[in-house]
Amino acid sequence: MTTMSRDTVVSIILLAFCGFLIWAGYLIRDPQFGELSPAAWPKGVTWVLTGFCIVYFVQSLLADRAGTEPPSITDDRQPGLMGWLRWYFNPIICLALYFIFLATLPYFGTLIGGILLVFALLCFLGGITPRLIITHALIAVISVGAMWLLFTYGLNVLLPRGELIPGI
Amino acid sequence: MILDNILNAIIELANFKTLLLMTIGAMAGLLAGAIPGFTIAMAIVLTLPFTFGMEASQGVATMIGVYVGGLSGGLMSGILIGIPGTPSSVATTFDGFPMARNGDPGFALGLGVWSSFFGGIIATILLVTIAPQLAKVGLEFQPWDYFALIFFALTVTASLAGENMIKGLISGALGLIIACVGEDDINGVQRFAFGNDYLGEGFAFLPVLIGLFAFSQLMSDVRDTASARKSLTDMGDVSVRIEHRRAIATIFRDWVNLVRSSLIGVFTGVLPAAGSSISNILAYDQAKKASPTPEKFGTGHSGGIIAPEAANNATAGGALITMMALGIPGDIVTAVMLGALLIHDVIPSPAFISEEPTIAYAIFIAFFFANFLVLGLQTGALRGFVLVTKVRMYVLASVILVYCGIGVFSLNNITNDMWTLAIFGVIGYIMRNLKFPLAPMILGVVLGPIAERWLSRSLALSTDISEFFTHPWSLFFIIASLFSIGFSFYQRDRGKKIWTLWYAPLLMLALTIPLLMMGGTVRPVLAGVLGLWAVWMFVKLPKNARALSDA
Repeated sequence: MTTMSRDTVVSIILLAFCGFLIWAGYLIRDPQFGELSPAAWPKGVTWVLTGFCIVYFVQSLLADRAGTEPPSITDDRQPGLMGWLRWYFNPIICLALYFIFLATLPYFGTLIGGILLVFALLCFLGGITPRLIITHALIAVISVGAMWLLFTYGLNVLLPRGELIPGI
Repeated sequence: MILDNILNAIIELANFKTLLLMTIGAMAGLLAGAIPGFTIAMAIVLTLPFTFGMEASQGVATMIGVYVGGLSGGLMSGILIGIPGTPSSVATTFDGFPMARNGDPGFALGLGVWSSFFGGIIATILLVTIAPQLAKVGLEFQPWDYFALIFFALTVTASLAGENMIKGLISGALGLIIACVGEDDINGVQRFAFGNDYLGEGFAFLPVLIGLFAFSQLMSDVRDTASARKSLTDMGDVSVRIEHRRAIATIFRDWVNLVRSSLIGVFTGVLPAAGSSISNILAYDQAKKASPTPEKFGTGHSGGIIAPEAANNATAGGALITMMALGIPGDIVTAVMLGALLIHDVIPSPAFISEEPTIAYAIFIAFFFANFLVLGLQTGALRGFVLVTKVRMYVLASVILVYCGIGVFSLNNITNDMWTLAIFGVIGYIMRNLKFPLAPMILGVVLGPIAERWLSRSLALSTDISEFFTHPWSLFFIIASLFSIGFSFYQRDRGKKIWTLWYAPLLMLALTIPLLMMGGTVRPVLAGVLGLWAVWMFVKLPKNARALSDA
């Protein structure tokens, strides 16, 4: 029995997504004027995408059967969910920190939120020692502070302010 | 008339603020280009928020400074530490790094710096002469032709994905879908919004672009803790003096290589979607083939530095030709520039050069001047590069991550754009890891609405689909698109399979049809030349086929 390669799994997910898009295409309202209805272009592109995804799926299946598909894991990562999580640990945490920054933006504002985010990212990626904590704190305050000053006073951009300290 | 335009453009640019901005931009480009992992596109993208508050010509001049600086900056790390700063300097490393290791780093840098400069100057001359002419051709375009041109741009992008062509095509189609989300430009009807306000607004192009490209790149840079904690100084010695005189003399002796590589660069740039990452390798390959000592390439040969560096800077001129003459972005960098111009209500099109001569000629002059600026800044940039190399990658990545968010917010002053940035950062990162090329997706996002608009205009004029095949330019681009889809297969099988011998003559023969349909004198003559060439290739085909079978 041949196992499914990563490409085959991705192509199946993409085909499912195409199915969703085809369904969503029929929800687009048609105002009944103009030669090109608002749904025509998205529907056309969706069918083209579906065609490509079918080709991709068939190609992946044929490669699976022939055994020519290179193994999905070509680096030194360990198999399984834990191996995957360990491999992508840094990007996952960085993204999580960024989403937390966005979610708390109305409370902290750009300046404090930004400083906290840079500090958290630096400590997570660079490690934590008393000396590094001080260095990271300084980098965070100076870099985000400079950015905030530049955008607020140099470019006259009203960056999001927080409820915590309403002035900034 | 042209002199007036040039004079007005010089007046527009020749003020302290613009020159300072260009200098800062060029310096930033040099440094960004020199840091491996930070591409030129990323540098341009990060510059973008600063240009919102500037005049259109000022903003574009700053971006051109970054662009030219980035193209030249890539050679520093490539030569000194063997890691190309940008994909456009990959081929420079082949001979630049060995030359530096052989004890001649100053000479290698000199060759790179001056070849970049001369490549840029040759490209400027072609930019000023070709762009207005190409724009005149562009004025002949009707909606069908425009739609076919965009279709061609998308197929070229996808075909350049090489082995992963189907992934390139999927990526491009996904970009078109992303551009469909929200209110459509023509009827104002919401699409793929599902009653959600956020989706109903649609995705602004620049947050999508920055997310897909810059944000996802930063995620890739910090994936491995050990390499994220490294600085470039851990990788090699970077303190050196540039040898100018010796380098100039060598380049002048190898002027044929310089001119050929610059022309390759400009031509690659003119093609939609083919950028400096391709031209530098093409030029290197041609220089090696034409050299009487090809075996010396790869060991520190001067021609191996001149060719890629002249080509990559010249590509910028070529990409600007397409953007300014036809309003079609040739690569990610010109897509961002197009976005910047649109923010200032300047819409590049074939009429752009004649309707907005001051801005158009300001771009020409800025490109010309940027080459001098970058040349003058190289020595200073080298010192700056030494300083930047001391900074750890994770520090740069963390600070830039926040900067991306703030920069994107300043575009429309809405936090939704920051969410868009993060969401497309995730999508971009997933696509990178699944080996889907991002360039087709980005061009899909940019070109999708334009394509739909032209399709709508075509159908408003006539619902007859055959119009796409009866208009010569449209037919020309449709034929070119079909062959560009087959190009990756051609590249894969060239020299191995007999069918590849049919590719070039068939393409030439097919292109004679629209050229003959165009009328006039020059184009039918060109069609005749192409036709004769194709016939000659057909005559030689059996002999070549036998040689291939024997091999």
